[in-house]
Order: sequence, then C-alpha cells, then structure tokens
Amino acid sequence: MLIKIAWRNVWRNKRRSFITIVAIFIAVFLAIILRSLQLGMYDNMINNVVGSYTGYIQLHSKGYWEDKTIDNAFEFDQATLLNIQKIDGIASILKRVQTGALSSYKDLSKFVYINGIELDKEQRLTDWNKRLIDGKLLTNDSKSIIVAKGIAKYFNLKIGDTLIFIGQGYHGMQAVGAYPVEGVIDMKNPSLNNYSVFMNLQTAQDFVSAYNLITNLIVDKEQYFDENKIVEEIKSNINTQYNDVMTWKEMTPELDQLIEADSAGGILIIMILYMIVSFGIFGTVLMMTQERFYEFGVLISIGMKKSKLIITLIIETIFLSFIGIMSGVIASTPIINYYHYNPLTLFGAGAEQLEAAGFEPIIPMMNTYDIALAHSLIIFCISIIICIYPIFIIWRLQPIKAMKR
Amino acid sequence: MNVIETKKLSKFYKQADQDVKALNNVSIKFQKGEFTAIVGPSGSGKTTFLNSIGGLDSPSSGKVFIESNEITKLNSNQLIDFRLKNIGFVFQSYNLIPVLTAKENVEFIMLMQGIVKSERNKRSIELLDSVGMKEQLNRRPNQLSGGQQQRVAVARALASKPKFVLADEPTANLDSSSTSNLLDIMNKLNKEENMTFIFSTHDQRVIERANRIITLEDGKILSDVNVK
Ligand SMILES: Nc1ncnc2c1ncn2[C@@H]1O[C@H](COP(=O)(O)OP(=O)(O)O)[C@@H](O)[C@H]1O
Ligand SMILES: [Mg+2]
Repeated sequence: MLIKIAWRNVWRNKRRSFITIVAIFIAVFLAIILRSLQLGMYDNMINNVVGSYTGYIQLHSKGYWEDKTIDNAFEFDQATLLNIQKIDGIASILKRVQTGALSSYKDLSKFVYINGIELDKEQRLTDWNKRLIDGKLLTNDSKSIIVAKGIAKYFNLKIGDTLIFIGQGYHGMQAVGAYPVEGVIDMKNPSLNNYSVFMNLQTAQDFVSAYNLITNLIVDKEQYFDENKIVEEIKSNINTQYNDVMTWKEMTPELDQLIEADSAGGILIIMILYMIVSFGIFGTVLMMTQERFYEFGVLISIGMKKSKLIITLIIETIFLSFIGIMSGVIASTPIINYYHYNPLTLFGAGAEQLEAAGFEPIIPMMNTYDIALAHSLIIFCISIIICIYPIFIIWRLQPIKAMKR
Repeated sequence: MNVIETKKLSKFYKQADQDVKALNNVSIKFQKGEFTAIVGPSGSGKTTFLNSIGGLDSPSSGKVFIESNEITKLNSNQLIDFRLKNIGFVFQSYNLIPVLTAKENVEFIMLMQGIVKSERNKRSIELLDSVGMKEQLNRRPNQLSGGQQQRVAVARALASKPKFVLADEPTANLDSSSTSNLLDIMNKLNKEENMTFIFSTHDQRVIERANRIITLEDGKILSDVNVK
C-alpha cells in the first residue's frame, strides 16, 4: 500500500513529475553519451599506441626499463607462461626481443629499433595486414625483415633491398647481420614509424646471440578489463625479485597524463550537469513536502508512524529518479552501441592534430555498462541524499502545528 | 469504567506579554457510549481540549487517562501508536489521503494495524455502507462532496475499532442537509455500536443532537448538561 501511495503520489502533479523526470533523463543521457565518447576516445588513443605496440602490460627482467640493453634479457620458463595464460582478462601473451642497432644501406646509416616477434601472435595485437603498405608479411621461418615506413623512406628502400645491422650482442658478443626487406608497414605513430624494424623472434635471438632469451613479455588484455587486477595476478605467479611487471601507464606516462587532464574537463561538465539536476530534484521534493504538510499532519494524527511516512516519500523519490534514470540509460544504449561499431570520424584541423600525435582520427564510443551504471548510481545517490530534507521535516513534524490553517 | 478522564488539565500559551489559558484546570470524565458536544465561542478552548484528550497536544499540567492508561506520560512516538489503536479522528476538512479511493482510505488505517486483506476488504465495505457511501467505494476524495468526504472520514475513524471518536467541528464546512446527514450517521453508530463520540461545534442544530453538552469558556467548563 505504501508503494501504491508513493506511485500515485508521483502522478499527483503530473506536470512537475514529468519535468523532473525529463531533467533526470537529460542529465543521465548526456552524462552517459559524453563519458562514452570521452572514454571511447581515450581507449582508442591507448589502443593506437599501447594496444598495438607497447601492450597494456609488460614483463621485463629487473633493471631492463632503466637500461634497455640486451644484457638485461631473460629466459621465461614455459610453466610460468602457462600459469599466466590462465589469468582472467588476458587476451594473449607475446615474447619479444627488442634491441637497438645501427642500420645501414648504401652510404646512409640510421639508428633503429629491432623487434624480434612471434608474428602469428602479434597479428592478434595489431592487424598487420591493414598496416602493411608494401610487400608482404613475414612467414615463420623467413629471415627477412619488415620496416616501418619512416625507415623505408629514409633509405629509399624497395622490397628486396638488404639492410645491414650492427649492434651489441648478449654478454659482449658482436651482433652483425644482413636482412632483406620483405614488407613496409605503417605504425600509425610518427616515432614508431621512424625506428621500428620487425623480424622473427628466432632471427633476432640469433642476431644478438641471446638464444631462448627475450627482453619483453607483452600481455594483451581483453577490452575494458582492469589491467591492475591482471598485474596483481601476474605478480603472484612470478618471482618479483627478478622480474618487473609494468602497466602502460608506467611505460607511457605522457599518454596517461594527457588523458587524465582531458578527462578532468569532461568530469567537470558532468558535475555541473549533476548540480543543475540536483537542484531540480530538490525543488520538486521541496514542493512535494511543503504542499503536503497538512496531509502529513492528518496521517500522523490518525496513527501513521513517521518512519512509514518517510519510507513513502523515499519510495516516491526513488520512483521519480528511477524512471528518469532508466529512460536515460535505455535511450543512450542504442546510440552508444551504434557509434561503438561505427565510430565518429573527425575531419579537418582536429583530425590532423590527432594524426600528427600518432592517433587515428576516429572516436568509437565506449560501450561498457560501467558508464551507465556509474552515472545511474550517482543520480540515485543524489536523490537519496535529497530525501534528507523531507526526512528531517517529517521527523520534526508536530501534527497540530502542521494542521493549523 | 471511564473511557476518558482528565485531572486538572491546563494548557497555557504565551502570547505577546500575557499568558493565554487555553485550558484552565479541566477535570472531567466520559463514559462509554456517550454522545457529547463540546460547545463554546471561538477561542474558548474546544480544539485544545480535544487535542489534549486525543494525545495530539501535550498539556502544560494535569493528566489525561484513557481507560487506565495515563497518556500524558507517553512520548510522541508512543502516542502515535496509541492513537492508531485507540482513537478515531475526524477533522474539520481534508481528512482523506487524496491519492486513495474512499475504500482505500478506510482500509489504510486497518493496514497500519496489521489487519489481513480479506478482513480489511470486508470491514471497509461494511463501514462505508453504514455511512451510506457504498456506491462511492472507488471514488477519490476530489470526486466526493464535502459531506461525503466527512462520512468517509467517520468510516475511517471507526475502522480501527477505537475506544472513542473525536471530531473537531466536523460540520463546519458542510451545508445544512449534509450536516444533518452526518449527524444522523454518527447518531446511528452511537446507538447501534455504542460508540463514544465527542465532537465540538458552535452550530445550534448540531448541539441539539447531543446527549451531553459541555460548554467551555476561557478554558473552563461553564456547564455540563446531560440532555437525555
Ligand atoms: N499554538 C497556539 N499558540 C498560541 N495560542 C494558542 C495556540 N493555540 C490556541 N491558542 C489560544 O488558545 C485559546 C483556545 O484556542 P482553541 O482551543 O483553538 O479554541 P477553539 O477551538 O474553541 O476556537 C485561544 O485563545 C487561542 O488563541
Ligand atoms: Mg477550534
């Protein structure tokens, strides 16, 4: 019956309830869309840089990050690898040997970064087919290389030309080798395009005489999965005395800071939005309470417990906010899903700016329910907090005073 | 046993620089089945008296006993519960919950008492029938006339099976035919169910219907007459 009373009370002043619900709807709707857009953009940025190259999580031997030489390579045993693979949220794990070397072709030379990779697994991280702009991809036993487009341009390389690398091998060994170019790739990132060379893992291990060793273990996660959870799990599976586990935030702090700064702006807008809605809900609750002061007096006089009256009012407020919230969530869901699969494409100056910074000029909306849930909860909490006012009023209410006309 | 007994009941208000004695040492008893009118000019203390014996207002001094319970000792939460179980109220106007139908309004009080649905249903129909509102069970208060609303209020007051019903100027906003109709109903319930009614009024036609007439003036009992 309390629920029935509350429900009917919601529709007592249809116009006012409608306005309140619309206000909540707009707030929830805009907050979800705005946040999905923002977080989706960041996710895409992260994906561009981190997801396709650095990986969300990396494992190195201790000291490697400060001193990235081949001497800090390590052997990763198969048993541990299998254990880590079982961790929730991990999409794939790939081994790499990364080492700097001097490359030369004809009379030109240039510093490059050699990546020894497990090609078929890397494929899952980055769609190499999409990025290949010339030649073809490596096969498993090929001893050729793929170079990023910046290097190809610098040396003016054609498919089939041979690059010579000179570098530092494992524990003082010489590292020298000549490798034919099999493909040219666009890394979608200016600095990666300038330095990256790819070869099969084994070819790279041979080059630096680091047999069975790797420098980086890249862990790729499932979309929207919390990387910190994964890191914790990995740490419990390895000996942290010898190995470091780092997230992309630690490896590329500039990107993290950029996102944090931008995100703060969005949150501010949403906070202002929420403030406006809070006042709207408060106004409604205020009028709802004031108008019914006499009625509350009658109800308490005839023996209705104050707690019951308070519950009725809370249910009423919950109904109001719930209708607003649900309609906001329902209305935003198809839009978010649509723009998740059909990202917004930027044009003009904005697009150029993003591209120059190494990002694709598209914004796919983030389609996780976390956003809707978070913002629904916020509005919900706001409306519950607003109920403190009528609770206070009813708690202090003396029936004969309330019924005095 | 007395249904209600007051002992030296007083209520003072401080107004400007002088004390207003809304009730001044009122000691009085009410027996079961009485049909009493509290009369007196405006400001004589009728409302204050009814609120005090109804546990809505706390007196400045003196005691109120309902049967053997001293309600002046109860705190405001205990009083709410006491009112629910023992006292029926009819106010001057706007008695009913606007979003509930006539029947739901009557049921509501039984619901708060924890009475089961089937019993609530049966009794609310019976009560509304007895106040002549059987045809308007499912109307909301705004679809009822003032007199009809007051009749529903009387039905609601009886729903909790109270020890007595207090009605503060229940006919003040009614025309004469609605007034006499409401009085008929109260009279009938008084006779048939032996329900105790105490109501205030300054309408001469209403006064004439009472069995006992208590006249207040300046918070004191001027006269207390048994008519029949
Ligand atoms: N809350 C109050 N504050 C001050 N004076 C009051 C208050 N309530 C009643 N009074 C005074 O007490 C007296 C009795 O009032 P009331 O019981 O309402 O009389 P009645 O119902 O007979 O008209 C009046 O003089 C009135 O002004
Ligand atoms: Mg009065």
